[in-house]
Amino acid sequence: MILTLGQSLVNAILLSGMLALVALGFSIVWGVLKVINLAHGSFIMLGAYITFTCWSAFGLDPFLTIPISMLALFLIGYAIQAGIINWVIRAPLLVTFLLTFGLDIVLVNLALFVWKGDVRSVSPAYAGNGFTLFADPATSQGIQVPYVRLAAFAISLLLAAALHLFMSRTRLGRAIQATGQDKDAAQLSGVRVAPTYALTFAIGAALAGAAGSLISLMQPFDPGMGGGYRLRAFIIVVLGGLGSIPGVIMGAALFALVDVLVGISPLAPLKDGVAFAMLVVVLIIRPSGLAGKAFY
Amino acid sequence: MPTTPFDRLLGNRRRLVYGAAGAAALAALLLVPHLSLSGFTLTWLTTALLLAVRAQAWNFIGGYTGYAAFGNVAFYGLGAYGTAVAMTRLHWPFIPAMLAGALLAAAYAVLIGLPVLRMRGQYFAIATLGVAEATRELVSSPQLSGLTAGPTGINLPFFRPAGLSPLQAATAGTRYFYLAAVALLVLVVAATWLLTRTKLGHSLVAIREDEDAAHMLGINTTWAKVVSFALSAFFTGLVGGHYAYWRTFILPEEVFNIRYTLDAILGAVLGGPGTLVGPVLGGFSYDALSTYLTFSKPFGFDLGQFHVAILGVFIVVVIVFLPRGIADLLGRRRFHWGIFLENIRKNRA
Repeated sequence: MILTLGQSLVNAILLSGMLALVALGFSIVWGVLKVINLAHGSFIMLGAYITFTCWSAFGLDPFLTIPISMLALFLIGYAIQAGIINWVIRAPLLVTFLLTFGLDIVLVNLALFVWKGDVRSVSPAYAGNGFTLFADPATSQGIQVPYVRLAAFAISLLLAAALHLFMSRTRLGRAIQATGQDKDAAQLSGVRVAPTYALTFAIGAALAGAAGSLISLMQPFDPGMGGGYRLRAFIIVVLGGLGSIPGVIMGAALFALVDVLVGISPLAPLKDGVAFAMLVVVLIIRPSGLAGKAFY
Repeated sequence: MPTTPFDRLLGNRRRLVYGAAGAAALAALLLVPHLSLSGFTLTWLTTALLLAVRAQAWNFIGGYTGYAAFGNVAFYGLGAYGTAVAMTRLHWPFIPAMLAGALLAAAYAVLIGLPVLRMRGQYFAIATLGVAEATRELVSSPQLSGLTAGPTGINLPFFRPAGLSPLQAATAGTRYFYLAAVALLVLVVAATWLLTRTKLGHSLVAIREDEDAAHMLGINTTWAKVVSFALSAFFTGLVGGHYAYWRTFILPEEVFNIRYTLDAILGAVLGGPGTLVGPVLGGFSYDALSTYLTFSKPFGFDLGQFHVAILGVFIVVVIVFLPRGIADLLGRRRFHWGIFLENIRKNRA
């Protein structure tokens, strides 16, 4: 029993890193552009397929493909924001909702066309390796820690830290923050809003690409994989509060914990339902999220 | 009601002309089954009519009240399941069963509306999206499988009036469900029309324009929003019940599919939310076009596998050039191509 709980705790910690990365890009786009990007899930999916293609066709190590999928998604994201979303960014909320949903449909169908609907997985030679914590010498049972998940956890946190440094220490990052806080004031101070939006969206997409690459190493996927991650990103951002990187990490940790604990309880078939109940309760009690409102 | 150039043109005769146009449309719809159309064509029209009903149902909460409800599929699914359970376990006839399913959906809307309608904007949209997902899981969960048969789905009885052979019943059924869809459309349009003439309807528009001001004016905003949400749920639930009996087999994955939320919103938004005819026209033409793209082969080119992508591109293009729907074009004095540029200039970063 203790072993199961311990294993669940370790699983939750390892999962939370990846989930934080899933939600980070979503959070920064929502916080700065005030756009709910419903295509976020399909960006994650594209990241996974880029890793899959580089690994299966060119034999690249999956971890080395992360910069490739980040760069590709950065360019796609920049093009989508500068070429499409910037044109309707001031229209009513429903418009960007439908627009990004339309984009999501297009991307998922393009992926179905290019990669077909088969379930794929990325499994390099070291995929099953790991080490055991607190191994019982008699039964050699203990808490399993797979290397791949540990590395994914570390990479996620590194990227979150890099984003934090970028947002707080560079001119561009501060321009993004300023635009998110007060678009008009930022514009008056010389920030060009349209390219800043495009850059923000591109960063969000690049983070989704990295998340997709990591997910491809951990579980099988198909072109429809994005929807679930989009919903998880929603919940995590709401839990952690909009506009703060530590908030996203906290939200991801809380979500992962509940997710793993519900997964070993009799409520397991209602996993998403429990997560949403949590979301609704948080939104009613504290509409600004558990951590309150900050701004990167 | 917004005044359009047509209104000004028609002046006092406006009511008469609109009434005549409505009656002519209804007469045309009732005439359709008497033409010798193929069953496929009739089915095509039926699904398009059903989307018109769902778009108009969404219009109560999304158009008039201005709340971006993203979970109406929950009401669709509950309507379908309510009808199916009433027909198979209680052996009720179809119409009372459909009403029971719709009332179940409306009651559910009141239950979740009370907490969820306290949120606004994007938070409301996400919360309703979440509620819809949770409802699907709940219906397919093992805890409720005694009632809903979980992920295996429910088989409904076939449409089989006494004295008809199976083949005759199938033909009669195609007509029956077409006429039932017309009846639902008439019901929802009549309800919308009545609503726009009541205090409640004006309260909803006031909430959309400025909820705090509406509250200050003494409007019971919570009550108005919940009623609007319940109306939306009721009519969406009716369509769900129609679908269940028509298709005779329902699955949680099918009747709780998020596309039922989205196509209703698309129909309403493409047509023009917050108007009496916009969602009906938008919903009908969107679904008719979508099915056409799936099954037709223009220039010998099979669009089947691309039809969703084409629809996606279509949505993106309409949204960019006409963010306020087709009603935006109808509402102008004079058409000129600059409208599109004007729209873009108004909304770009």
